[in-house]
Amino acid sequence: MPEPDSGILQRKDEIVRALQAVLAHSDVIAEPLETRAYECDGLSAYRCPPLAVVLPTSTEEVAEVLKLCHREKIPVVPRGSGTSLSGGALPTADSIVLGVSKLTQVLEVDFDNRFIRVQSGRTNLSVSDAVGAEGFFYAPDPSSQLACAIAGNIAMNSGGAHCLKYGVTTNNLLGVRVVLMDGTIVDIGGPMLDAPGLDLLGVICGSEGQLGVVTEATLRILPKPEGARPVLIGFDSAESAGACVGDIIRSGILPVAIEFMDRACIRATDAFSGAGYPDVEAMLIIEVEGAQAEIDAVMEKITICAARHDPVEIRQSASEGESARIWAGRKAAFGAMGQISDYMCLDGTIPVSQLPQVLRRIAALSDRYGLNVANVFHAGDGNMHPLILYDANKPGDLQTCEEMGEDILKLCVEVGGCLTGEHGVGVEKRDMMAAQYTDDDMRSQMAVKDVFDPGWLLNPAKVFPLTVSAGHRIATGG
Amino acid sequence: MAICRPQSEAELAASIAAARTPLAIRGGGTRGFAPQVCCDDLDVTALRGISLYEPGALTIVADAGTPLVDVQAALAAKGQQLAFEPMDHRGLLGTTGEPTIGGVVAGNISGPRRIQAGACRDFLLGVRFVDGTGRIIKNGGRVMKNVTGYDLVKLLAGSFGTLGVLSEVALKVLAISETQVSVVARGLSDRQGVAMLTRALGSPFDVTGAAHLACVAGNTTTMIRLEGFTDSVAYRADRLATLLADFGDISIDNDGENVAAQWAALRDVREFSNRPGDVWRISVKPSDGPLVGDRMHKITRAQIIYDLGGGLVWLLVPAGTDVRRALADIDGHARLERASDPKFATFASQGPVLDKVSGALREKFDPRGILNPGLMG
Amino acid sequence: MQTNFTPEQLQDPKLSAANDILRSCVHCGFCTATCPTYQVLGDELDSPRGRIYLIKDMLESGRDADAQTVTHIDRCLSCLACVSTCPSGVDYMHLVDTAREHIEKTWKRPLFDRMIRMALAVILPYPRRFRLALRGAMLARPFVAVLPRVLRVMVGLAPRQLPRPSAHDRPQVFAASGQRIKRVALMTGCAQKALNTDINDATIRILTRHGVEVVVAKGAGCCGALTHHMGKTRDSHAFARANIAAWNREIAGDGLDAIVINTSGCGTTVKDYGHMFAHSDLAKEAAQIAALTKDISEVLAELDIQGTAPRDVAVTYHAACSLQHGQQIKNTPKDLLRAAGFAVAEPADAHLCCGSAGTYNLLQSEIAGELKARKVGTIRATAPDVIATGNIGCMIQIGMGIDVPVLHTVELLDWATGGPSPKALG
Repeated sequence: MPEPDSGILQRKDEIVRALQAVLAHSDVIAEPLETRAYECDGLSAYRCPPLAVVLPTSTEEVAEVLKLCHREKIPVVPRGSGTSLSGGALPTADSIVLGVSKLTQVLEVDFDNRFIRVQSGRTNLSVSDAVGAEGFFYAPDPSSQLACAIAGNIAMNSGGAHCLKYGVTTNNLLGVRVVLMDGTIVDIGGPMLDAPGLDLLGVICGSEGQLGVVTEATLRILPKPEGARPVLIGFDSAESAGACVGDIIRSGILPVAIEFMDRACIRATDAFSGAGYPDVEAMLIIEVEGAQAEIDAVMEKITICAARHDPVEIRQSASEGESARIWAGRKAAFGAMGQISDYMCLDGTIPVSQLPQVLRRIAALSDRYGLNVANVFHAGDGNMHPLILYDANKPGDLQTCEEMGEDILKLCVEVGGCLTGEHGVGVEKRDMMAAQYTDDDMRSQMAVKDVFDPGWLLNPAKVFPLTVSAGHRIATGG
Repeated sequence: MAICRPQSEAELAASIAAARTPLAIRGGGTRGFAPQVCCDDLDVTALRGISLYEPGALTIVADAGTPLVDVQAALAAKGQQLAFEPMDHRGLLGTTGEPTIGGVVAGNISGPRRIQAGACRDFLLGVRFVDGTGRIIKNGGRVMKNVTGYDLVKLLAGSFGTLGVLSEVALKVLAISETQVSVVARGLSDRQGVAMLTRALGSPFDVTGAAHLACVAGNTTTMIRLEGFTDSVAYRADRLATLLADFGDISIDNDGENVAAQWAALRDVREFSNRPGDVWRISVKPSDGPLVGDRMHKITRAQIIYDLGGGLVWLLVPAGTDVRRALADIDGHARLERASDPKFATFASQGPVLDKVSGALREKFDPRGILNPGLMG
Repeated sequence: MQTNFTPEQLQDPKLSAANDILRSCVHCGFCTATCPTYQVLGDELDSPRGRIYLIKDMLESGRDADAQTVTHIDRCLSCLACVSTCPSGVDYMHLVDTAREHIEKTWKRPLFDRMIRMALAVILPYPRRFRLALRGAMLARPFVAVLPRVLRVMVGLAPRQLPRPSAHDRPQVFAASGQRIKRVALMTGCAQKALNTDINDATIRILTRHGVEVVVAKGAGCCGALTHHMGKTRDSHAFARANIAAWNREIAGDGLDAIVINTSGCGTTVKDYGHMFAHSDLAKEAAQIAALTKDISEVLAELDIQGTAPRDVAVTYHAACSLQHGQQIKNTPKDLLRAAGFAVAEPADAHLCCGSAGTYNLLQSEIAGELKARKVGTIRATAPDVIATGNIGCMIQIGMGIDVPVLHTVELLDWATGGPSPKALG
């Protein structure tokens, strides 16, 4: 991480007083014992307490904070629920963490026009909850949806199991109210489709809190399907599972979700959810939507496809309770693995056709580095989550883990995929960007930040390797 | 006015780097954009060919100058399609030429299925392009889940060549549905028509097209498309017809060819082809669609097609009608799609802040201002 | 997460246990989603994950507790919704217990706070003293405006009417009707019987009606929960020992099939006796007592109750935190009510605390008030005729905010199986 600006550190008291002048005192956190809790997000291996934390209660307060920081040249690190797995909300010692966790209201719901407008600190699942009674839902469903904030979803362009059919955040985002680093408040997009000119909404989504702080979001809501049913298909090899996925897609079926778990994951998540997963080498969870008869028909087609790949077991869920447990297990996979071991969760994407090959090479890397890997991922779009199991309290283990992680991600890029499918670059993959992008590629992205945040104060130490962004961050002394 | 026709991405980059005058980027030339300043033509059609197509991964990668029909034919051979069904402008604009896939992406050209499946930009997985200084840039890749760095893929889509010249695009494809039907009502008013579309789009029956054609008062057509496996479509059509029964006589068009033809005609706004007048493309929130219609009918003769459930309004109005002024108090924006004597800017302003941001972005990507200058602002 | 205890520190069984718990936390943040104080305050420090972080820092460093840590730990309801949510099985309950003990030992609270806490600790667990205090509160009502905030709140929480001490709460045996199939001890507790004697009466009636002999053991009293949650573990352990001894006498005597508790807040603590005394001379007995302990709903579920509920009584079931999260009993009470013929609805956000949480509504009245308002709002939206729950604290708290009668689940079940119609229903 860049060296903190000593000038800012020295002026801490003055800065805190200035923040307390624009926010309620209880919304400014500056005691070292308390700022500690904000030193990391879901990637707890990397930690650094910020200078201070602010929790504004309105867009106007966010603007006042940013104006102040703009004037004083203080870096700002936006934070949603702090569930990022890539260190997106990791502060530096001279930065202010700007948390939107107090901005949780539903502002407008319009079922005729099929959108909901919310404050960005609202959790993903609670957006669906707000429209569930009328038979609607918000589609992108990251596994952390219970806790993650819309703000973070927009920053990282989050996906989820059901994005195979419904797309990721950027395909479901209609508009934002964003505060730029100089305090300008601007609305982009809205309840209508199409941008009038350049797709600025599209570039803000996935910009990891580097272009502005989103305080409100207009989201597309969809009518809930008549029903949904998952089917579990167990295989005695990952190859068979992978081949089955390609077969199903080629036959014209587009399920709502296709998830993959290997034996290690199956065991851990089954213990947590009581879903009754089969004890197999590889398992697919495939979800189909529609009326019962429609589901039955598609399930039949899937069964015929699967039969061509020597399945060990095919089991359709027989009840809503069972379906809930099947998904609860998958969605808790990371946490459930945590019962067994510390782990580092990777997020590379590969072309679906490369699945069996990549799994084999990951197994070889596992042997080489001496660390076990459990695999869970979105098989339908090739977004993998290898969980490298290590021991945080064993010196050197974290480093070995990181080296192995790097090799796996490079492998993903090598076979035509990418470094990160939904968790974002953050700090975790920042220094690997050159594996996927040339300097020119990165320069064109940084040019966008130059336009939105010329002073490079918003979350400056993320996404781009520090050497590559050095020239742009000079203004902040970073 | 010289014409430059690079044969490869490297040549494209060199041409742009060496350019001494502004460039008008030409794919199929079917959009009829007339540059406001004197430009050399930059013809990209030699960059053609499909370099990768994996039906099992729903992915196709093609050079930007590849004719759209070639892409569609390759996909159709495997029972797949570009689900965003890009509009063919030639009938409406009276142009000739072969639309290219790069042109489709550069314009974010989409069609009625946008309401359910998404627009071109929602299917765009990756781009390679040459910026205004001649640098070759890539963004995205060939996989759907990709959040590595900023999403310039979205920025390039719909940038009409003003940020860079596309050399290669990667797209997600979907299967062609086994069956498609239309659920149709006739004679509904604009309000009733949009209300019917709203109810359909709020149903769980997975509607993939929702339009109300009001070109001739009293003789309107409200149509809703359902696609998928045959049994599923039959079931959903039946349920939908029941759900919409109180709007009047609901009929189901099962003739697949006819249905396809109807939606293609809507997609290409064929109603307005060969008819004089300006064509505007309005984006509003769907329930405001009829408001747009009311407003226009008050001030002039207007023919109207409502697509995307009422959220996309096509207007055919007498030449020179100031549509933006008439609609000024309605939230949304209007694009001038066709005008024999354009008095108004093609693209609407995004407001002072965003116009400034857009201008600054264009300056970053094209510092000399040579790529389709003035096209977007 | 990585932890930093020294090998010396890990010799201490309490710190070693804390280390195990802290290691199991992966800092995923799921717990924030269901934490009532995080919902209200929006601050990581007032979420389980933040509290775990504060506790980790405090215990690792070996230092005395500090004002900030105490503030945020004090704000914890111990509702244990986080335990229900956590995918990694973090044993937050025991971690926060350890933290509270450390705080009580090393942090000097302001004098007034110390006095209030001591008052609660010496009054609430003793029914006679508590009744006196409640009468005092009733008398103080006209002067409530001039009282300090916490006393104002206490006066506000005191019920308008107090029941006479019930003869049924004295040590004795209640014979089963007909064939005796089980023998259980009923813990009559402390605070509950000063506030409400109907619950125990209904419990005794329904159990004896179904062939269960009920003994109120001599020497059993407060379970220790109140003092335990203040970190006053010496006091809480003393109460627990007395209970363990009292029930052991019954076990050694005529035997016990179960120890029945109808206040879920107490049930959670008694079920934890095994853990509380794990490294003591009482380890085996405590574990045995804990294993025998059942919530009244669990016992009734085993008895296969058949009931005929009166028609047109819309029941909204409020899941007490100690029952749904602490004891992980989520469906049993609802199933029982439905089997007895009641129509049962649940409010939205049923996992969120009503704000009672033992003495929380006295010591953290602002947050408790906000939670009460939210809970009452969601309950009201279900248009109930009566609200059923399994904990006296919730009954008082919710009862303060809504005109609909709030009863204990067992009162409704007693009514449906032949008992009298509850007085609160008129």
